[in-house]
Amino acid sequence: MIQVNELVKKYGSHRAVDGISFDVAKGELFGLLGPNGAGKTTTISVLATLLPANGGRASIGGHDVAGDAAAVRRLIGIVPQEIALYTDLSARDNLEFWGRLYGMGGAVLKNRVTELLDMAELGEQASQKVSTFSGGMKRRLNLVVGLVHSPEVLFLDEPTVGIDAQARSRILEIIRGLSGSGLTVIYTTHYLEEAEQLCDRIGVIDQGKMVALGDKEELISQIGDEDLIRFQLDPGLRAALGSIAETWTGCLGIAERRGKVEIRARDGARLLPELQAWFQTQGQTLEQLEVDRPNLETLYLNLTGRGLRE
Amino acid sequence: MRIIALVRKDLQRVLGDRRALFVNLALPLVLTFIIGLSFGGGFLGSGGGISAIPVVMVSEELPALLTERITEGLEESGFFTVSWADSSTADALVREGTAAAAVVLPQDLVERFFSAENLVIEVWKDPGSALKAGIVEEILRRALTRYQAGEAAYRALWPDEEMAQVGDAEARIWRNLLDGNFTEVWENWRSARGDTTFTAAAERMALTMDRHAALSRAMGETRITLAVADKAPAGQTDDDGQVNLFNFFLPSFSVFFLMFSVAGSCRDIHRERTTGTLQRQLLSPLGDLEFMLAKWSSAVVQAVFQLLVLFLSGALLFRVNLGPDIWSLPLAVLTCCTAGVGVFMLLALLSRTEKIMDNLSTVVVLVSAMLGGNMMPIDAMPAWLRAVGHYVFNYWANLSFHNIMAQDTGIAADPQPVLVLAVVSLILLAVNLLLFRSRVRRGGLA
Repeated sequence: MIQVNELVKKYGSHRAVDGISFDVAKGELFGLLGPNGAGKTTTISVLATLLPANGGRASIGGHDVAGDAAAVRRLIGIVPQEIALYTDLSARDNLEFWGRLYGMGGAVLKNRVTELLDMAELGEQASQKVSTFSGGMKRRLNLVVGLVHSPEVLFLDEPTVGIDAQARSRILEIIRGLSGSGLTVIYTTHYLEEAEQLCDRIGVIDQGKMVALGDKEELISQIGDEDLIRFQLDPGLRAALGSIAETWTGCLGIAERRGKVEIRARDGARLLPELQAWFQTQGQTLEQLEVDRPNLETLYLNLTGRGLRE
Repeated sequence: MRIIALVRKDLQRVLGDRRALFVNLALPLVLTFIIGLSFGGGFLGSGGGISAIPVVMVSEELPALLTERITEGLEESGFFTVSWADSSTADALVREGTAAAAVVLPQDLVERFFSAENLVIEVWKDPGSALKAGIVEEILRRALTRYQAGEAAYRALWPDEEMAQVGDAEARIWRNLLDGNFTEVWENWRSARGDTTFTAAAERMALTMDRHAALSRAMGETRITLAVADKAPAGQTDDDGQVNLFNFFLPSFSVFFLMFSVAGSCRDIHRERTTGTLQRQLLSPLGDLEFMLAKWSSAVVQAVFQLLVLFLSGALLFRVNLGPDIWSLPLAVLTCCTAGVGVFMLLALLSRTEKIMDNLSTVVVLVSAMLGGNMMPIDAMPAWLRAVGHYVFNYWANLSFHNIMAQDTGIAADPQPVLVLAVVSLILLAVNLLLFRSRVRRGGLA
């Protein structure tokens, strides 16, 4: 459904999107994961025909985004990161306006608007001005506005930014439902939990480049079956621990990150008693201990040396 | 269909905005009402509108020709009703409040003028009618300033031509000429061709008039225009000879506030850009040109609605004249609105952000209002300001409304202002469409 090949977008000398390539199949929910400023929104803007690319090619439903923008626009819907709504109009007025822009009218539009208001659980507030809505309600309305003309491809640009856990959960539920109905979705986020929960496949973006691409299992397998043990340790004892830890079975490496010691281990649970014993011999207490299973955050750290929220 | 949807949406938003409605519709009416009341105007047409300012001119022996010219000149402005009286009658009229002011011209004005004596014109004001009398004083001051500027220019150009003291014989000849006693002038000239006094007076007068004419042309004074436009402002004068000053104030305030509201409508492009609704619309099948046309139409519809509401309210509340025919005013309103939207849409498209547009439009509104005749009547604007005013759209808008509502002159009689507005509108629409497309293509609005 979507093909992206060596896409480049520059702002002056800065390459916001630097040769990205990926495909998305029809009905797939594809996640673009990366920190703020990684190039996710720019990628979406180019695919949605809002920005011209400086290199590479991209097509949606067989239509080139640069050469056949009108055909692409008929296929897509977009849910921008901002609340792109008229807050001085009611929820119903907003939906009806966007529907009319796509040539809808009469009973078809009326039924579609009612359907979407129900989907967003805003039926009772349909006549209220959007300015009176909570953040979560606005986000839900922002989402369904992108669906009013029943697009084949939906771009969701960080649709859960700035809302509480309950509202986020409701939005994720709606997106899951959409994906199940055969809609092709590109979902950008810097919340890895969302990408892990929702997406069939994930592309990890950093500084405009695609640093990893695949489904969740494929991506995690890139870093192997490793646990990460983190704890606090007096800096004077770190060298001593480094020399002894490498002799422990299953220890794959030791490093310092963000003021903590990190030990990569094949089986963290088996290593912990030895670590505890060593602390006792040193007269120290094991503090702020964390044991993480491999996940996308680990992958991202391994690939970029930075956390997703840094 | 899509354009209608967009216009409908924008109108829905405006009509739901009470603050905008107050500023754009109620405030101009309130201001017009307050200013009108200050001039002693009535409400709901009571008293047939506002009386023109009654002015008494006092001059014991002014030649008939000058008396007529002064009366015509003052009454053509539409602000005054002029009567002539001796000084004691004038004094009584001002004291009893029948006249707002009396203008007392000096004794032997003509002789003393040509003798280059210092002249003092007195203004007697009615303290109970301070505002009206103040207007008389201000207009008189302005006229004197213009005269003195002309005289200064004359002396700068011909410094050796100091006006010589004229003798009784020469003064008599001047008086005969100004009084129109041409028979006496002719007989004098025929019987005394060699009379040096007569020859000197004739030569001095010819030279003075030639130079005044040349100076007037060079300074762009509108003396000829004034002489031709001898028609009384019929639209503002009723059977009682009263003048409805709302015919001047309402269009002027309306155009002034229209500029603010149109600037607001055009600024909406930036607001939509900030909230993301612009990008959403550009992604719809609407397309960039259709979007721009829709936004332009929306601003024009809002502006036309605003002016029509104001003028119709003015007609109901203040008996404002809506023109001599049914199509002149609507056409003037339409072209005024399309030109105004063109100007402020251009500003919006040239501005990178809403804040820049905000600042820029405020400056443009205030400067345009000053240059285009929204802060003073076009008639009272000095010649140079009128010349500069030709370059702002509101000058032509004010002129067209002034013609229709104050002068009761239809577009057929004077189509120039409306034609200028129409041409400006078309040019600006084309420029705006191209500019918008260019900004969208470069991603400047994404």
